[in-house]
Amino acid sequence: MRKIDKATADKYFRIRTTMIIVFLLIGFSVSYGVAFFAESINASGAMILGMPAHYYMGAQGAVVTFVVLLFLNAIISDYVDKKFGIDEKQNVQISGGASDH
Amino acid sequence: MDQQSLVSLILILLTFALYIGISIYNRAKVTSDFYVASRGIPPFWNGMAIGGDWMSAASFIGMAGTVMMLGYDGLAYIMGWTGGYLLLTFLLAPQLRKYGRFTVPEFIGDRFDSNPARLIAAIATIIISFTYIIGQLSGSGVVIGRLLNLPASSGVMIGVVVIAIYASLGGMKGVTWTQVAQYMILITAYIIPIVFMSLQITGNPLPWLTYGNFVTELGAIDQELGLSEYFAPFDESQRSQFLALLFTLMVGTAALPHVIVRFYTVTTMKAARWSGAWALLFIALLYLSAPAYAAFSRFVIMTQVVGQPIDELPGWTEAWINTGLLEIADTSEDGTLHWEDLFIHEDIVVMATPEIANLGMFVVGLVAAGAMAAALSTAGGLLITISSSFAHDIYYRLLRPNASDKKRLLAGRIAIVASTIAAGVIALDPPGVITQIIAWAFALAGGTFFPVLFLGVWWKRMTAQGAIAGMLGGLGVTLGYIFLSMAGVTLFGIQDTGAGVFGVAANLILVVVVSLLTPAPPQKLQDEAVDLRYPEQMTYKDGEVWINDGSDK
Repeated sequence: MRKIDKATADKYFRIRTTMIIVFLLIGFSVSYGVAFFAESINASGAMILGMPAHYYMGAQGAVVTFVVLLFLNAIISDYVDKKFGIDEKQNVQISGGASDH
Repeated sequence: MDQQSLVSLILILLTFALYIGISIYNRAKVTSDFYVASRGIPPFWNGMAIGGDWMSAASFIGMAGTVMMLGYDGLAYIMGWTGGYLLLTFLLAPQLRKYGRFTVPEFIGDRFDSNPARLIAAIATIIISFTYIIGQLSGSGVVIGRLLNLPASSGVMIGVVVIAIYASLGGMKGVTWTQVAQYMILITAYIIPIVFMSLQITGNPLPWLTYGNFVTELGAIDQELGLSEYFAPFDESQRSQFLALLFTLMVGTAALPHVIVRFYTVTTMKAARWSGAWALLFIALLYLSAPAYAAFSRFVIMTQVVGQPIDELPGWTEAWINTGLLEIADTSEDGTLHWEDLFIHEDIVVMATPEIANLGMFVVGLVAAGAMAAALSTAGGLLITISSSFAHDIYYRLLRPNASDKKRLLAGRIAIVASTIAAGVIALDPPGVITQIIAWAFALAGGTFFPVLFLGVWWKRMTAQGAIAGMLGGLGVTLGYIFLSMAGVTLFGIQDTGAGVFGVAANLILVVVVSLLTPAPPQKLQDEAVDLRYPEQMTYKDGEVWINDGSDK
């Protein structure tokens, strides 16, 4: 066990929280955002892949965005962990020891 | 029994044998196997198991039909049931995994050091999972019943026996690997018919890229018939109902105990993040295909059934008219079938597509086996959750804290068998239609658990009293609104399926207000909450953060 600077730990938490907020904002705007303005998008006549844009976003666009966001989150979080010197092997060992409740 | 029933039956029996074989091979030997599969499932496979766990009979059989009937308004289900994984993976799953317990009620009980909170959470878990499993069992009953020309009730009993055997033998460990197998079967069965349908209608085997033109064309057909266009938004309901339903489904997805517990089966927070990403990818394969099913079937119905002379309808319609899922009338008495004279049951879309596309007996049987896989995989996960609430949270943590591991394992098995039978009996005569029952389960899960779990993970000042008030208030408001709206009293045009909005709001406000009015929780509990901000290797203690680099070993 080694003590680390509280500021470093706070920085880790801040980066992770910022990521989550940004990802959720993107996720909400492609779903709730598009649905909220669906009537005006329909009236504008915009098309994606041959169908009206608001219908496309509900049927495919939002879901594909969600999947991309989750993979980005997993990849970037791994990168952040590495930068802060977190070793996944240690994580496995520590959580393995604490699992027998 | 005709040849088709025989082929379907053989395929279903083969898959049953596979599931039971897997659970015998992965028999649970200790409680940690039984509840969390010893926390050793790799994220990729856990993602696949989450896919099986998540996609229910309603997703498989009913969703495409819902989208077909509702048009744009049905897309709330597509976005809501996938978007929940954002909330779950970003806000809850990794932190709950680091906390390291067996069940959701156990997290709530230990995080606030409160047995009343534990008991309320356990009872709410049982109620929610029970509502949900009734939908699964009656769904599997419909499939078996229709295939073998049995009453749906016999179908329910067959489903119940199979689940009870494999869930009680294998526990979570067995259920995990059966769910992986069930996912593979259900996704194959779902995608094959739609690929061939796309190939036949458009000449391109990728339905996801081709159905767009049909959506636009359907709009034109609807306009000609004087209906509102297929893609026109908020035709069946108001915008507020669409957004409320979307919210309820998302939040409910993130708070369903049987989904959360799947994230307990991996090793670390990192593995939990990757599980979420893989899970949504596997789930998206089905959810992206449902609107394609909807567009193609509606196109076939609009061009080959509607407007045709009633005595010259395509051959596949006859069998479905006989089952009552397709009804025609000739109100205008001109011998031609009009859209208004057609009653289409939602469940028909996926089940009839192989026949419409003329894919032969094997594919029809495969779709039946896929529908069974979808119902059984979800039911298996739910039964583990229900039995862990009884046997782990109530029996072991509250009543008999000194019970031996062997006794706890036995209690878990008895609880599974007992709850399967109880759910089976209720599913024989289920109240309401399947989709509606399941929509209520989402409102109840979101209203009871989401704010409590969310703030429990992120807000150290939250108290046990706050948690209790939030859960009870959220549950009460959600139930109250469901009953009020069924009786015709609604606010802002929001119907019973959107009740989660009110439940979540009431829960959130109660947690915050009651927590602030009660004394701050002990330092130890607050430290445990702060600790969840960091990966396993970092530990928060007395205002300091330590990193475990293995140097003191």
